[in-house]
Amino acid sequence: MNTLQFTTAVAFKAYAELRSEASRYFLSIFWWVLDPVLSMSVYYLIFGVLMLRGGPDFAPFLLTGIVVWQWLERSALHGMGSIYGNGYLMNLIQVPKIYFPVVKIVVDTVKFGIVFLLLLVALWSLGYAPSLAYLALPAVMLVQLLLIAGVAFLLAGLMPLLPDLKYLAEVTFRLGFFVSGILFPPSRVPDQYRDLYQLNPVVNLIEAYRSILLRGEWPDWGWLLVVAAIGLLLLAAGRLVIARFEYDYPRLLSR
Amino acid sequence: MQTFDHDREPILSLRNVGVTYRRPSLLGRRSSYTALADVSFDLYHGESLAVIGRNGAGKSTLLKLLAGIIRPDRGALRDRGLKAALLARQVGFDGELTGRDNIVLSALLLGFDRAEIRAQMADIIAFAELGEHIDQPLSTYSAGMRARLGFAVSARLEPDILLIDEALGVGDAGFQAKSTQLIEDRLASDRTVVLVTHSPQVVRRLCNRAVWIDNGMSRMEGEVDAVLNAYSAQYPPAVPRGGPASLAG
Repeated sequence: MNTLQFTTAVAFKAYAELRSEASRYFLSIFWWVLDPVLSMSVYYLIFGVLMLRGGPDFAPFLLTGIVVWQWLERSALHGMGSIYGNGYLMNLIQVPKIYFPVVKIVVDTVKFGIVFLLLLVALWSLGYAPSLAYLALPAVMLVQLLLIAGVAFLLAGLMPLLPDLKYLAEVTFRLGFFVSGILFPPSRVPDQYRDLYQLNPVVNLIEAYRSILLRGEWPDWGWLLVVAAIGLLLLAAGRLVIARFEYDYPRLLSR
Repeated sequence: MQTFDHDREPILSLRNVGVTYRRPSLLGRRSSYTALADVSFDLYHGESLAVIGRNGAGKSTLLKLLAGIIRPDRGALRDRGLKAALLARQVGFDGELTGRDNIVLSALLLGFDRAEIRAQMADIIAFAELGEHIDQPLSTYSAGMRARLGFAVSARLEPDILLIDEALGVGDAGFQAKSTQLIEDRLASDRTVVLVTHSPQVVRRLCNRAVWIDNGMSRMEGEVDAVLNAYSAQYPPAVPRGGPASLAG
């Protein structure tokens, strides 16, 4: 399978999957949008209304964080089970195993794209006008995509060897939600912990989006570079693992 | 039957190939199972090679090796990067996608390009006798419909090396006759085919050469009659009870 054949297969599978999902559910695409809005409402109610921790910009602040987080979480968790769940197919055809997580990432990225566009429209209508800082958005998204691919490849590659990883990763993501700067800004973290806190790449990613979308400011390039480096490292590790076990996965998952 | 000039380079060759499945366990007990112990043979362009052996001889593992799905643990497998595909009952099927999408996807994964797929699409649908169901999700298909689609995809798209597992009696009597005819056509043509079976009649009728695999070892490779005689001497022909109606017929 050459690169063109690989790309065609990925594109077709992602397209077919999105189309079938859109036709299967009555509200289809609407759910992709409703999901982050519902999550935002719940957290807004808890932290903004009941605990009075919000502030005037709390709703857009939350929504931005949740949308960015969901792109990462969905792609990573869907990607994780993708090789593990295709034991049957890979015992019939020699498929490059990286195909499976790549398809999942493409599908979730398209969904994110739609949700993100609607987020922009919502922000504009709330008075957060586009600014020159928007020029940095593609770079920030690319860094996030790197991180997503890294995490998804590594989890996808390891799960057939350690199926328990599923539970570990799910718990990590559930907890990660609360320490990734979705509900509060890094400035709320006590000084002595802040550097440690910002080692979480998601904190910096979400802050980068917020400074562009909500404050019209350029992101912190230094931290973004750190995130990119972490993403590249994970990506290299993930590809290495998948390549190493390319011909072992069909055996591990054959019965 | 054609004769072959074996001075040519084989397109695929196995030398002392072995495959052992190991199941790592956290409790330290590693179970292992040797599917192939020591297998050697060559495959030449244009021949119909029979791999004959009893159940459990390692035939399905051998097919996976030839299809490039797994690699041997011992020995050497040399190929020339040709497209080898399993003629399977189901190929890469995804229940949520329509039959048509599944044809395209399976074919893309098998390495065919869009033009080849477009050219074969109508034939595949007609061969599978699916009619308008082709645009329904696969999850609504009966087992027979899935089987017909799987057969049609892998039979109609022609890989360089076609790998056939004997247990192919799919569908109702009518479709079985049709699929059997198609396999026989492929075997009799000048395409490269590997047929895995335990039925000597089929081999005698349709294959140029044979390899006998026994307990994961290749016991003999050569002319069909010689290999079959040796095989029958070891396992007198009471063996094919309830054998593959599809091919023996």
